[in-house]
Amino acid sequence: MKAFHAEISKLLSLPGIWLALLIGALAPAVIAALDAIAEKEAIIAGVSTRLPEMGYSGLGLGVQGVIILGVLAVSSEYRTESSEGAGGQQISTSLMVVSSRLQLFLAKAGAVSVISILLCILAVILIVPTTRYILGDYAPLLEWTRLAGAVCYWTFTALLAFGLTLLTKQGMIPLTMLMINSSLVSFSVLLAKVTKLAFYLPDRAGMEMFMFTKNSASTEVTGSLFDSYHTPFTGGLIMFAWVAVLLGIAAIVFHRRDVAA
Amino acid sequence: MVLTINNLVKRRGTQEILSGITFEARPGRVTGFLGPNGAGKSSTLRILLGLDHATAGSALIHGKPFAELQHPLRTVGAALDGSGAHPMRTGQAHLRWIACAAGLPRSRVEEVLDIVGLTKAAGTRVKRYSLGMGRRLGIAAALLADPEILILDEPVNGLDPEGIRWIRTFLRKRAEAGNTVLLSSHLMGELAETVDDVVIIKQGRIVADGTLQEVTGSHSTLEDAFFALTSEQAGDAW
Repeated sequence: MKAFHAEISKLLSLPGIWLALLIGALAPAVIAALDAIAEKEAIIAGVSTRLPEMGYSGLGLGVQGVIILGVLAVSSEYRTESSEGAGGQQISTSLMVVSSRLQLFLAKAGAVSVISILLCILAVILIVPTTRYILGDYAPLLEWTRLAGAVCYWTFTALLAFGLTLLTKQGMIPLTMLMINSSLVSFSVLLAKVTKLAFYLPDRAGMEMFMFTKNSASTEVTGSLFDSYHTPFTGGLIMFAWVAVLLGIAAIVFHRRDVAA
Repeated sequence: MVLTINNLVKRRGTQEILSGITFEARPGRVTGFLGPNGAGKSSTLRILLGLDHATAGSALIHGKPFAELQHPLRTVGAALDGSGAHPMRTGQAHLRWIACAAGLPRSRVEEVLDIVGLTKAAGTRVKRYSLGMGRRLGIAAALLADPEILILDEPVNGLDPEGIRWIRTFLRKRAEAGNTVLLSSHLMGELAETVDDVVIIKQGRIVADGTLQEVTGSHSTLEDAFFALTSEQAGDAW
């Protein structure tokens, strides 16, 4: 528990984390607001097929905050001090304070998870009045089960960012890759045009926990990427499997790797 | 024995960095681990502190590897390269998370900042620290839990003359109080007055190990002895 508290203290004393928290809290509400404004006319006319997604789209596309959080939690450990300050890295200090690498790994993953959960709850609290303000009585009520799915999606995304950065030891590659994938060009969207296996990628499968609720059993499958492919539970399970495998590999590499390597 | 390094070997790829290092550090004494840059001093200390893995041999603290210590910070305080802090964090915030992880009161952070003379810079981000201030912060972190063993890698690097004088006096006091102090350096002159025991490493091998008098031998200074030993061993002229 002491190691966990230390990791929370470590994260909250980094200015970059506050930027991540700000983005994490505000970006979903902004995205949800833009989405609601764009769909408002169709919703009022009763022709929108995307009404059930209102609000949730912000949670799906607004995960950048937790991506930055997951990356920074690790990359900050490996940031080399200025050239004047020799080649020191904080990871040496961290491992001299918490000598068990597994314990440090778990404390850090725990801190990232808890902050992600709280951040997602805060994002939801901001999304509800935003969509209500724009759509008025047309705003759909957010369901608890789907919100819980979104919280899982955020936490798993943060842990994927955390695991990837632990493997690369630096933030630029995972940060660029995950940020572009989650906002501009989704790799799974592109790949879905080629193979159905794309629906098993963690971001696409994970989003099924709260997005794409159109039931393919009862409605015509349009072949659109936005059709539901898995049940929310299966989608969550697939994403969790990705997280578990990646964190398992990251933990083994972290345990075996020399700090100086 | 408090610190025991036994036949330590470290290879990276085809390169052998340490070739069977053996020495000990005793309580109540300052042990100087001396050698030129790249001789293997930091590699040895990193293995001793559990940061790197040994290819063969052992480096033990009270008979245990570092990773098995119940209270690492209360047993060993160490300062390696630089400050060991993230440049964007303040010195105080850096010490606070360490205190939190070791279960120490926050008041201890103010105490060690005072000991190393960083009280006024406590709220400044580490990236604004000079090299010497960074070293002082690293030493403050090592002292947080008042450990019985201090391990310092190149502690006088970047310190001004006043800082060097301070650390000499400080280390002597720690050893006289019965603590174990192991410090590495490539600066012989700065340390001759501070150390009791000397271990000299050259190209991954120990070339001398004994008390200051034994290692200095017939040479007039430790520095002379060091150059004589290291150049004889390498067969080259300095």
